[in-house]
Amino acid sequence: MTDRNLLVGPFNRVEGDLEVRLDVRDGAVAAAYTNSPLFRGFEMMMLGKDPRDALTITPRICGICSISQSAAAAFALADAAWAEMPDQGMLIAAILHAVENLADHLTHFNLFFMPDFARPVYADRTWHDQAVARFTAQQGSAARDAVTARAELLHIVGLLGGKWPHTLAIQPAGVTKAPTLSDKVRIQTALRSCRRYLETTLFGAPTEQFAALSARDSLMDWTAGDAGLFLRIAADTGLDDIGMGPGRFMSFGAYPLPGKRAFAAGMWDGGLHDVDTAQITEDISHAWMLGETAHPADGRTAPDEDMRDDAYSWCKAPRLNGQTIETGAFARQIIDGNPLARDLADRPSAMARVVGRLIEIARTQMLLEDLAAQIDPKDRFMGHWDMPKSGQGQGLVEAARGALGHWTKFDNGKITGYQIIAPTTWNFGPRDAAGNPGPLEAALVGAPVGDGEETPIAVQHIVRSFDPCMVCTVH
Amino acid sequence: MSQIETFYEVMRKQGITRRSFMKYCSLTASALGLGPSFVPQIAHAMETKPRTPVIWVNGLECTCCSESFIRGAHPLAKDVVLSMISLDYSETLMAAAGHHAEAALEETIEKYKGNYILAVEGNPPLNEDGMFCIVGGKPFVEQLKHAAKHAKAVISWGACASYGCVQAAKPNPTQATPVHKVITDKPIIKVPGCPPIAEVMTGVITYMLTFDRLPELDRQGRPAMFYGQRIHDKCYRRPHFDAGQFVETWDDENARKGYCLYKMGCKGPTTYNACSTVRWNEGVSFPIQSGHGCIGCSEDGFWDQGSFYDRVTDLTQFGIEKNADQIGTAAAGVVGAGVAAHAAISALKAAQRKTQDKKEEA
Repeated sequence: MTDRNLLVGPFNRVEGDLEVRLDVRDGAVAAAYTNSPLFRGFEMMMLGKDPRDALTITPRICGICSISQSAAAAFALADAAWAEMPDQGMLIAAILHAVENLADHLTHFNLFFMPDFARPVYADRTWHDQAVARFTAQQGSAARDAVTARAELLHIVGLLGGKWPHTLAIQPAGVTKAPTLSDKVRIQTALRSCRRYLETTLFGAPTEQFAALSARDSLMDWTAGDAGLFLRIAADTGLDDIGMGPGRFMSFGAYPLPGKRAFAAGMWDGGLHDVDTAQITEDISHAWMLGETAHPADGRTAPDEDMRDDAYSWCKAPRLNGQTIETGAFARQIIDGNPLARDLADRPSAMARVVGRLIEIARTQMLLEDLAAQIDPKDRFMGHWDMPKSGQGQGLVEAARGALGHWTKFDNGKITGYQIIAPTTWNFGPRDAAGNPGPLEAALVGAPVGDGEETPIAVQHIVRSFDPCMVCTVH
Repeated sequence: MSQIETFYEVMRKQGITRRSFMKYCSLTASALGLGPSFVPQIAHAMETKPRTPVIWVNGLECTCCSESFIRGAHPLAKDVVLSMISLDYSETLMAAAGHHAEAALEETIEKYKGNYILAVEGNPPLNEDGMFCIVGGKPFVEQLKHAAKHAKAVISWGACASYGCVQAAKPNPTQATPVHKVITDKPIIKVPGCPPIAEVMTGVITYMLTFDRLPELDRQGRPAMFYGQRIHDKCYRRPHFDAGQFVETWDDENARKGYCLYKMGCKGPTTYNACSTVRWNEGVSFPIQSGHGCIGCSEDGFWDQGSFYDRVTDLTQFGIEKNADQIGTAAAGVVGAGVAAHAAISALKAAQRKTQDKKEEA
């Protein structure tokens, strides 16, 4: 075995551009450096604009999670303007957002993650023929099933939000659309058809049955549907032994509803804690950024155009209480107390992340059905709010990929500060001043690299298990 | 050069039935505004002509264009496009990774030299020698120029490639630059919108295949068949505009009644696109139908025209000295006011363009 350095990238089937530099020693990754080579400067162009324009501009950071960005912008403004949504407004905003997240999870599993198992490197495995038939990129039958199911699911966003991607309906004091009774019926119909897809194809069994799994053993016994194929592959390829995260998880809590969030907020490190957002900082010691480590409410974005040598990414390094944390569906389900996620929490592996998403797919389907049944077309969907001249606020939501925060500050009707920390910024950020690697950088250490492997397959699995969204990362 | 299979063959391989194929042809004919008599012509072209190879590259962008395609579209339109791009080069969807992907690009360029269409999603940032968007260790602008060199034509998907879009908003930190400022020696079709409507995207490609030429373009280089009318011209809320019935605040009774959103900043009167006719997510709806104004995302510079929630302009052409506000408050039905307003807005738009052109020349 020789020692060598590898530069892996560009990655496709991730959203946006990503490069990972690997130091390889004795057939395994010894150190990893993540670079997000795409920078657009959204936080800079927000300055001087009408604070309400964040509702329109920030969703355009990303065409995959645009409702998440739109919701975070709306909640940040609502926080600054003391605006409140009526109950039914919260309900519709929650439905819009949950549909997008559910659709994202389906995309990730079928189009981004599973196609790697159709690669020739696995040709000798017993499940390979099945994986090829189902998941070959762009041709496998699973992609067709998933894309069709997803397009139909997104009718709901069409009905409630006018269009997807880049939906505009969520405002600080509610949603612009007052659904009619016939909209309600169409939404419920679309959800029924999504359930049919889940039960015939993804889980191959009733959604409730998958959602009720509570321990690793019963999970690994699951054989039905594409989920069963995945678990068989995961067991055979040792996906549960690679890509360990830091074991610290954070969720801002998904889908604000009257008096609660549908999936709870919190921080998990073996025990459950509250998240103190005052303890969030963005470290820029290894980013091509100028300035100081700061809380996002005080942070600024000034790219270092010299691209100094000791830095290696456009991405800042966010820390909570000075530590790295992992965020995403798996984190959300652990923190919300799902028994299966809690059982897997001590092995935060590549497999666990994918399972976290499967659990959430089942639970979100059930949640959406419940929310849709509560739509009351006669009620109010938008409250009144006035835009103050000056103010500041934070908007915290859960995108499909994890915790997303917007911090806005404005004076005299113009934005004076806007900072965004996206889920993949947390997961794929670079080292901090103390030299501690970001979660992905740490998760890659130890990943096996075969002789002559230029794009190590284990690295591909680990990177994609996080479902990175690189355009959100740096924005 | 190896024989390229026809579109129809590719679709059959993907398991699309004859019946679905014919349905696609008639859907496309109607989307293109061509009568039913064109359906056989479209079908014939797709059955006999070699599939158009497409190389799809991504620069500074958010992938909303790809997403519009694969998620929002009518399943048939989506199938066609997936078949079209699947065999060649698409960064978001393809199987290969890393250097293999780069090799696939080279191979595709070589194989279809002078024959392929280069579809560009996003745009190149030119600041700092293009270092803000790096693909495979090289600035995206180099990949773009390289891939364009042997292309038959270039399609600029979306507002990013066509005009710059939000990432070009002041101060345009990365100097994000639309494709036509970088590629100057190829025919370029702009299909703006953030994102463009999926059916518009497939319509453009199918037209090119069927008739072997570029669709008729307007002065801005957009296919006239989809960008020939204002959102406002075919908006279902138009009668409320003409009647002077406007939403005044998001939570008022008029909002519930579905009145005109002009006063809430709707840019429908100055925006050329097919949203109010083709609609979104398989024809389900469009932004105005969800109660939010149009933000004009298919127009050049939509991101830097003042707040999205400001009115288009403070017109005084209504009646004698009244503007839209006063008319709205009076809730009077003013017949014919809409026509005058349009004339005024069009003039204004023309003036705006002139200033922009001047700026570009300067």
